[in-house]
Amino acid sequence: MVAQGIPEIGSYIAFLFVSTVALVIILRLFVSPRDPRPTPQKKKPFESGQIAAGPGRTRFIIQYYPYLLMFVVYDVIAMFLFAWGLNLRALGASGSLPVLVFMAVLLIPLGYALHLANHRENW
Amino acid sequence: MLTSPLFLEIVLFPGLLSIAIIGALLGWLERKVTARVQLRIGPLYASPAGGILQMFADLIKLSFKELFVPENSDAFFFIMAPTTGLVLGAALVGLIPFAPGLQIANIEVGLPAFLAIITLSPTLILLAGWSANSKFPFIGGLRALFQQTAYEIPLWLSALGVIMMAGTMNLGQIVNAQTSGWFILPQALGAFIFLVTSVAEMERLPFDLPEAESEIMMGWQAEYPGVLFLAAQGPGFVKLYAFSALFSVMFLGGFLGPSFLPPLFWMLLKTLIVIVLIMLLRSTFPRVRLDQLLRAGWTTLLSLAILNIGITYLLVVGFPTF
Amino acid sequence: MTDLLFLAFAAVTIGAAILAIEARDLVYGAAALGIAFLGVAGLFFLLDAAYVGWFQIAVYIGAVVVLILFTVMLVGPKKGETPLGLKRVSLLAAMLVSLLLGMTGALANATAFPGPDSCGSGCDLSLFSTSLLKNYGVPLEFMSLVMAAAVIGALALSKTDRGQ
Repeated sequence: MVAQGIPEIGSYIAFLFVSTVALVIILRLFVSPRDPRPTPQKKKPFESGQIAAGPGRTRFIIQYYPYLLMFVVYDVIAMFLFAWGLNLRALGASGSLPVLVFMAVLLIPLGYALHLANHRENW
Repeated sequence: MLTSPLFLEIVLFPGLLSIAIIGALLGWLERKVTARVQLRIGPLYASPAGGILQMFADLIKLSFKELFVPENSDAFFFIMAPTTGLVLGAALVGLIPFAPGLQIANIEVGLPAFLAIITLSPTLILLAGWSANSKFPFIGGLRALFQQTAYEIPLWLSALGVIMMAGTMNLGQIVNAQTSGWFILPQALGAFIFLVTSVAEMERLPFDLPEAESEIMMGWQAEYPGVLFLAAQGPGFVKLYAFSALFSVMFLGGFLGPSFLPPLFWMLLKTLIVIVLIMLLRSTFPRVRLDQLLRAGWTTLLSLAILNIGITYLLVVGFPTF
Repeated sequence: MTDLLFLAFAAVTIGAAILAIEARDLVYGAAALGIAFLGVAGLFFLLDAAYVGWFQIAVYIGAVVVLILFTVMLVGPKKGETPLGLKRVSLLAAMLVSLLLGMTGALANATAFPGPDSCGSGCDLSLFSTSLLKNYGVPLEFMSLVMAAAVIGALALSKTDRGQ
């Protein structure tokens, strides 16, 4: 777990962030024009010419949230699998046994989820 | 400090300036490639050679448009979300080894670091779509979120195959592990899954539901004026560059190649080939619907990824002898 | 230098966490939570645990914060509505939290949890991987059971929501 290379990527990201924000600020202050007489329609949300009716943030797509829950859990599982896969040559078959059991146990809820998905059209 | 190699790498190549120029050139390339596929010509007028300065002309034009935020929108996230997306896209390029020693950050856990940074991108798109307080951008942002849940796990698992074969997470060492054969042959299935899921990650056709030009008018990017529009579109090209470079590193042997040309040339050539391949997908396939994508991601792609892990396990450890 | 970085990351984490609780608009709160997780990831990097740090970013900010954002955006209170006020239980909550912090502080001793492999500064990734599987194999299996239960529970919850 060596933190090699982290200072470089940290300073790189910091440099990028500062330069991008600076660029946007400079553009906003100096380059982009200001409108002295904006019309009332100018800042309204754009809906292909229609007048926007109703709030902009209503409930749209919420029926897929079980996928979101599964995604969170399997993302954690990916972390352990990566730790295993790294050392595969050194561990061999005997060392991989815990991970194989790990994966087998976690395939069961996946099968259940897909069984549910097949029996309901909304997913 | 100003002339240290790291600073030069950050600013010139493979950092800021080269990313900006390559991003612009990729915009032009995309328009040309899709035009040829669609039997058109594409950008033609903006320069001596086939309209190559078109994107720079667009950049200059967009800079002179007014930057405003829609009313009732959340100005902080409206501006910061695409800006941070641009920063993250450029940060990805910093992890890639373009030649032995030509790498901004040689992180020991380089591959998970790359994937971790790209995982943050749909969060920013969700915030950007929400911040505009308008229906179409919000739908686009939500679609980006659900699209992430579909492809992210197969993406991680296909990268796991490469790590299993190489025995390291360091991108430079993954390239060096391919001196006796590129990983694309033993990892053909993993490469396919990685390609498909990274196209989904970049929200390009056939997975461009969050943008969906003909459907929800640019989706989460709909309300962005002027330069912010470029900040919303730019990360797409930068991510294309970064992902194609990563694909070359992981499966095509990175900067390895016959020594009569410098390693950097081979790296850029392989990256370009992958970029054009991905661009060709754009005009060739119809758009995938969200529930189709979710179902395919969690059934087909995930099963193939687990199968790939199994195959790689057998290749590395050998068949079990009972 | 390390101390300065530690103070910076700790300040970011605590500040963002306070912001996450106190923010008027819950979306700002969730975003502040993401910044707090970023501060924690920075602390992991300072501890030379880059692997954990990057996965902290990927899983917490990339998945958990996104889940919270999604929930808040779609079913959270509208702007202007205040979240629930829980003045009466706040005293009990404060006492419980200080009790918990006290216990944790007492346990946060270098010899509190002796592990079979304290490798100091010679740790590297392959050692981490080997010890995870060889020494902690059984906790790994328990964790898989916990996660499987979490997934099945979440799916069952979504099933009963529809009344089917």
